[in-house]
Amino acid sequence: MSADVWPGDASAFEIGRDDPRYPALLATTDEPPEVLRGFGDPSALEPGLAVVGARKATPYGLAAATLFAGWAASAGYTIVSGAAVGCDQAAHRAALEAGGVTVAVLGSGADVAYPRASGNLLRSIAQRGCVVSELDWGFPPAKWTFRARNRIIAGLSAALLVLEAGCPSGTFITADRALDAGRDVLVVPGSIFAPECRGPNRLLRQGATPVCEVAELADILAPLLGAPRRSIDASGELCGLASDDAVLSALRTNPMRPDDVARALGLDIVTAARRIGALEGLGAVRKYPDGRYGPC
Amino acid sequence: MGQCTVSTYTLSGVQAIEVDAEVDVGAGLPTFAIVGLADLAVQEARERVRSAVRAAGYDVPNARVVVNLAPGPVRKHGTGFDLPIALGMLTATKQLPQEVARRCAAIGELSLDGSVRPVAGMLAYALAARDAGLALIGPASAEPAADLEGLEYHPLRQLSELRGGLPSARAHSNCQRAASPAGGLLDFGEVAGHELAKRALTIAAAGGHNVLMVGPPGSGKTMLARRLPTILPELSDTERLQTALIHSVAGLDETAALAGVRPFRAPHHSASIAGLVGGGSPPRPGEASLAHNGVLFLDEMPEFGPAALQALRQPLEDGTITLVRAEGRLRFPARFALVGASNPCPCGFFGDPQRRCGCPAAVVARYQGRIGGPLMDRIDLVIDVSRVDPAVILRPTPGDDSASMRAQVAAVRGLAARRDLGPTAQLSGGALLQACGLTSDSRRALERVARTQHLSGRGVTRLLRVARTVADLEGSSAVAAEHIAEVVGFRAKGER
Repeated sequence: MSADVWPGDASAFEIGRDDPRYPALLATTDEPPEVLRGFGDPSALEPGLAVVGARKATPYGLAAATLFAGWAASAGYTIVSGAAVGCDQAAHRAALEAGGVTVAVLGSGADVAYPRASGNLLRSIAQRGCVVSELDWGFPPAKWTFRARNRIIAGLSAALLVLEAGCPSGTFITADRALDAGRDVLVVPGSIFAPECRGPNRLLRQGATPVCEVAELADILAPLLGAPRRSIDASGELCGLASDDAVLSALRTNPMRPDDVARALGLDIVTAARRIGALEGLGAVRKYPDGRYGPC
Repeated sequence: MGQCTVSTYTLSGVQAIEVDAEVDVGAGLPTFAIVGLADLAVQEARERVRSAVRAAGYDVPNARVVVNLAPGPVRKHGTGFDLPIALGMLTATKQLPQEVARRCAAIGELSLDGSVRPVAGMLAYALAARDAGLALIGPASAEPAADLEGLEYHPLRQLSELRGGLPSARAHSNCQRAASPAGGLLDFGEVAGHELAKRALTIAAAGGHNVLMVGPPGSGKTMLARRLPTILPELSDTERLQTALIHSVAGLDETAALAGVRPFRAPHHSASIAGLVGGGSPPRPGEASLAHNGVLFLDEMPEFGPAALQALRQPLEDGTITLVRAEGRLRFPARFALVGASNPCPCGFFGDPQRRCGCPAAVVARYQGRIGGPLMDRIDLVIDVSRVDPAVILRPTPGDDSASMRAQVAAVRGLAARRDLGPTAQLSGGALLQACGLTSDSRRALERVARTQHLSGRGVTRLLRVARTVADLEGSSAVAAEHIAEVVGFRAKGER
């Protein structure tokens, strides 16, 4: 396998089992790694949500990764994944875009970018979280190393969200490891006809928890990882809107037409239309069949 | 006894094509024959010409008269050949000087007492005569209202007037006429409580976007549409002539168009395909062509025949209507702004907060689908018009009136013209992106809207076009996030 050394820098760290920075949750697993080497901020290794899925992801898997990882990151949860192409990278990117913290656990030395093109992504992850590996610096990737790192992903997280996975597959192994470690396994259900969804659907039959919307994920994560820093209900807030937005609260309490909003709030029609349009664009309100706007 | 040829015209689409009326008066039994693919109305010219010539005090030759209308393969329609045939006959029998027929083309219907009656399409004939360098003799009551430079028009009330030589021609020069206000006494200022709809119509008028207004009966859709012409800019000089030509050919009064008033056509929903896009024999322009450079208002749009509605796709796409007939292809210009009005369902109360809609869901879906996807694709703005609270009607707050809206529209049209990328409503692809000059901020806003509203590429294009016009209304060269936010609400229900 070909690999590339991505430029390491001064923020490199090595944490042994006896180091106080060693993640406590990881230490409780069956075979915790002796040492964790990596870049970035080791304090990011707090319990998080692991998001894993197939490399050959379908748009469905990518969309689900972006949706759930993006929300969870913006809600203050750390997103743990493996930096592989497909679902993993989509989850990392969504977490970074949402301004959250994310941890990449590599199947090679922490300074080795595999695949090569992931160097830039790893650099951004190291700036906002960390990139770790149990392997020695410069260790090349091999089949067995990926299988072994899956247990670290499972060990670092309080819950594991599985998007798309063949059966058998690396993702499926991660799920098994998470169950061994006593973690909650959450699954995004898929089509019964799609081979990419065989893994998740099988996990569902074995008793995993299905996750179909952000609110469900929030309900599951709150007791495990603490209440989300941002609530889902104030969906406007997620996108940088103040919750005291007069137009939004007016429409929440009483669905109205733009003309009524303008009259009620003393705005001119252009301003009212723009504020409502911005809220609709954010998905905070929607247009009803009679032309009124109100909560979704 | 002798021969004479008089130039005259027949209509093909909105163009006059030259026809030679050759009259031969020769020895033989006294008969009167017209040949050259002449229809029934032309054949009847024989009786009218004979009586009119006699009534005007001339002699009807007691000889064999043959009239040939050349070129032979072109079908000749209408009653306009009466005057040229009479002129030809009088010249061939030396009752009129040769010079008249040599210098002049002629068109007009004769009545039995010798007076000259108007025919449809005088403007087209006048243009053709001017371009051919001929003077035109025609009915005094239908002198073209257009000021055509270089036209020499000799108005004739009575055939007998020719005894005193040609009636004198009025000098024509390209001078402007004062426009009378469009829409008469209507004004947007008197519309209460529809500020959003007025804003949308301003956007539509400024960018030339097609509009659909959806709302329950009595909510004010027609009232709003009727006031749209009051905010449209005056016709330009070339547009005046184009529009007036079509109205003239259709036999309608062309003075309003010549004065710069944009046409507003509101055909009833029982209109046939031919009535809407043109047709018949001889082919006449339809409502879509009569609305050229103006507004075509389709009230109760889903009630129109599906075939008639779909026939509008071609003019909406390329601004002309091509009719293919046995006698050839005819092109009618038809570039108009489409304004549709529709109830949300057959009973009209679907989604109304006060009244219950009795229509089954399937019927509502079918009703809304009647306009059809391809036509809806050409409609950039969908406006929800709701019934206004009586309290608002009785205590109206001052809103924009037509004059201020018209000023905004005129300013935007100027901006769009300076951009030189064509009308905003027809922009797409690279030209649209170039015109919009999206910033990273507005690009992000657009992507977010597209994601949350599940827009297709076509939906995004439509959104951007309208946003471009909104930015123009503010005089902004780049489309900003707030412009995009404003137009999010103007999409069709469930549009993707």
